Amino acid sequence: MIVAAFLAGGGIGAYAVAKRVADERWWSPGDGRAFPSQIDYRNDAGVLRVLLDGSPLPTRGHPFFAPTGTNGRACVTCHQPADAMSLSAATARERWEATRGRDPLFAAFDGSNCPTLPQGQRESHSLLLERGLIRVQRAWPPRAADGTAIDPDFRIEVVRDPYGCNTGTTYGLAAAEPSVSVYRRPRPVANLKYLTAVGFPYDPKQGMALPTDAESGAMISGNLMADARAPTLAAQARDAAATHLEFTGALSDAQLRGIVDFENRVYVAQWLDFDGGALDTDGAVGGPATLQGSKPGQLGSTGRAVWSEFAAWEKLPADAPLSPEQRAFRESVARGARVFREKTFLITDSAGINSPIGFGNPVRNSCVFCHNMSQMGNDVAPGQVDLGTTTLPHADPAPHLPLFRITCLKQPHPHYGRVILTNDPGYALTTGRCADVGKITLQSMRGLAARAPYFSNGSAADLRAVVDYYDRRYHIGYTEQEKRDLVNLMRSL
Amino acid sequence: MNAARARALVLVTLLTPLLVGAATAAEQVRFVSCPIYRDVDAGRKSGCWLADDPATGARYDVTSAPTKPDWNRAVLVEGVKASRQDDACGGATLDPVRVSVLDAPCVRSMLPAEGYRGRPFVLPARNLAPTGVPRPIASAPRTNRTFHAVFDFGSAFVVYQLTDYLLDEAASYAVAAKPVRVVVTGHAATAPARVSGHELREPASLARERADVVAEWLRRSGVPASRLELRVGADDAPGTDVAGADGLVEPARRRVDIDVLVE
Repeated sequence: MIVAAFLAGGGIGAYAVAKRVADERWWSPGDGRAFPSQIDYRNDAGVLRVLLDGSPLPTRGHPFFAPTGTNGRACVTCHQPADAMSLSAATARERWEATRGRDPLFAAFDGSNCPTLPQGQRESHSLLLERGLIRVQRAWPPRAADGTAIDPDFRIEVVRDPYGCNTGTTYGLAAAEPSVSVYRRPRPVANLKYLTAVGFPYDPKQGMALPTDAESGAMISGNLMADARAPTLAAQARDAAATHLEFTGALSDAQLRGIVDFENRVYVAQWLDFDGGALDTDGAVGGPATLQGSKPGQLGSTGRAVWSEFAAWEKLPADAPLSPEQRAFRESVARGARVFREKTFLITDSAGINSPIGFGNPVRNSCVFCHNMSQMGNDVAPGQVDLGTTTLPHADPAPHLPLFRITCLKQPHPHYGRVILTNDPGYALTTGRCADVGKITLQSMRGLAARAPYFSNGSAADLRAVVDYYDRRYHIGYTEQEKRDLVNLMRSL
Repeated sequence: MNAARARALVLVTLLTPLLVGAATAAEQVRFVSCPIYRDVDAGRKSGCWLADDPATGARYDVTSAPTKPDWNRAVLVEGVKASRQDDACGGATLDPVRVSVLDAPCVRSMLPAEGYRGRPFVLPARNLAPTGVPRPIASAPRTNRTFHAVFDFGSAFVVYQLTDYLLDEAASYAVAAKPVRVVVTGHAATAPARVSGHELREPASLARERADVVAEWLRRSGVPASRLELRVGADDAPGTDVAGADGLVEPARRRVDIDVLVE
């Protein structure tokens, strides 16, 4: 169905772009569609484009698309192409309405707030429907990659447990198999050559050379998953199969290869904005094609500056055939990129930035201090950083989430002290270290318009809320114009 | 380590105070105080770090230290007054200088720029290039070499743009040289010292902890674990020609020696 004709400005005259926009947004496990080399999806801001390296992929029986476990889900259930290979809360709501809550997405194990709640009731799935959150159950104490138990240097207690999944007899710290349940947004499974790229051979945040993958011998980027519990795509697939898919067996080598191969071929980015037109015209190189064809892992400060994709829009020709609205939007995006790179502020009391690495506390820098990888905005180094989004006193009030009290048993946390209140200890659930409480791995910034809400716990309902959080957390003092410019930049990524 | 090498090390250890300490100690300041952040804005990483010596009241600019202060905690400052003073921050510039963040709490102190211009950030000479930058391929070296990794007081954490660079040099050489052994000897400054009223003394266990960190780095960098030999060195062994210490006496004691032995 040809549904959209967008007027997009070009260098020579205006031209109409008519694109085929996918009729069927939702990919059900096993529906057998071929995954095309290019497919576009509308969202509130414009059009997201999904590209696949190589020829179209038949998905019938493919391990990313076929239901593998016992609950009818496949990887694609929570990594939907229309949602930039993530899952928006809006899509979850649409799916609830379309299936009356019977879609495998709402599986009791992690698509509800807790499996012990009455399933089929909307309230039992409120976190997924309202915040796009999936339950993530971590063994406590944590286990190292080789299965050995880690002796944590902190005690964890439950202060608030809205759904009973942390204090029950089946799930929680007192269960036969003790666990901690936290709630997180699914991460985009796309543009992964960037997230697996090794930009430096060492992790300055941990003060150690990067570990290597026992299977491949390659260095591990440390940029996968919110808590970095799975170091490679294959490990992530195994983890996801055993939990989200409730697969009781082991993925075969062929299944793993199929999943990882597909994941490494997918690229997503916003390609067109309803206000600004095509994002890869008039000198700009937004959209996924440049992303697909570029070398990953480059540091913006020494190579292609972060978000310089829109540098050409800083000086649009006066006679460019653009409507006033298009011109204003494009100039705003270009300004937003400058603000992102150049507006410095004092970054304070953030583990992973101000400690233990010796940048100082405070340190003056801009957004690209951490969001430093060209074209992606994730961290070139392993990106475990505590911005305070999940931890008091900085986190937004979240009565809908569990609250944990962390007591550091050895050294106190460098910024929170000995006792910490958090909705999600993050990386500390993997390392068992008090100093890692609240650290969440930075993620890609592409395709943002397709996958609200934001931050790992969905605490920012929209992109403006993201900007407002940073403004408040670090006392940046953005002007209203700067905030709008940053939002326009982010919705164009 | 062969016997001749061991004897040489003992000799160097005995002579070190004469060779290094006596010549430079008088020029080196060492004190503990609460740091002061001066909020100049000359771009990213441009803020000034100051510290007042409680014994003299002298204000020092410690901005060039590889580890910057944390405004919540006291710092141990060790450095030498730089020959060139630019008064960019409002204190006598120490360079080289080392800052170690201590556990003692401090009340945050921040000063406005007050007309001081600060300095734009300049990438330190000791920085690890990204993996995307081609490295020269080292020919297989066939000589024994000793490297040093230096640490902040009380810490086994690898200092950014200092210890990481030194370890990368050592690891690159050790991988290329295909040594018969790599002897990793950790040291700690265990002798008590009273500095600005604070009793400073590193625990003896820190020597081993530092050696473990260095050995793990070398293993991850490709040095076979079977070639690594860990040792704990003599307490307070002064360093000689410790490149990472830049001639500073006390920081040179907080080190790990990495002897790459090809024969």
